[in-house]
Amino acid sequence: MNLFRSEEHIENWLGGRKPGATIPVAKLSELAHAWWGDRLPPSWQPHTREQNQAILDRLGLTDEFWQLP
Amino acid sequence: MHDGDLHLRALTYGSFVELGRAPTATEIAETSGRSVADVEHGWQRLHDAHALVLNSATAEIRMANPFSAVPTAYRVRADDRWWYGNCAWDAFGICAALHADGVIHASCPDCGEPLTVEIRDEHPDDDGLLFHCLVPAARWWDDIVFT
Repeated sequence: MNLFRSEEHIENWLGGRKPGATIPVAKLSELAHAWWGDRLPPSWQPHTREQNQAILDRLGLTDEFWQLP
Repeated sequence: MHDGDLHLRALTYGSFVELGRAPTATEIAETSGRSVADVEHGWQRLHDAHALVLNSATAEIRMANPFSAVPTAYRVRADDRWWYGNCAWDAFGICAALHADGVIHASCPDCGEPLTVEIRDEHPDDDGLLFHCLVPAARWWDDIVFT
């Protein structure tokens, strides 16, 4: 899970490997804040799979790549 | 996950943020009044539940996601401290967890050029950068350190 300068740099880095998923950094920030924003309060409860999938869905990350087990 | 393990997790995360590093089992034992063995067994259950990640060789904390207990390529300055994220997602996650603005320092894995992203009010200042996730979500926990 890395940051890159551009699509060209991702392709170079992959070196022929099958690509995963690429999203803009602004979307990553949204995702990170939705995913990790509740981690520190002592009242934290584990997210269910459905809660985590709902975060991905809400951000439009709905294709097969983003389907949790 | 039972209440005792949730409490142990909260103590562990609280100590991580207070200390700016991963606490040891001895430190958490002293704070909680548990034995070191109790803390280690509780951490193992939390590891098995994906609530934190232990070092497979030492049973010390490797990740209290999004925080990394070891240096990584993703350094974060937030809340007047330096942190390490386990990956790019977690680097942003540190600002999210702390509810703080911050600056992420990394480098492009392809060319090595330094990348700096400032997060202010949850928004990055450089919209041109891209995040690439190689492993599909269904396999993230097959090998979380690689992921």
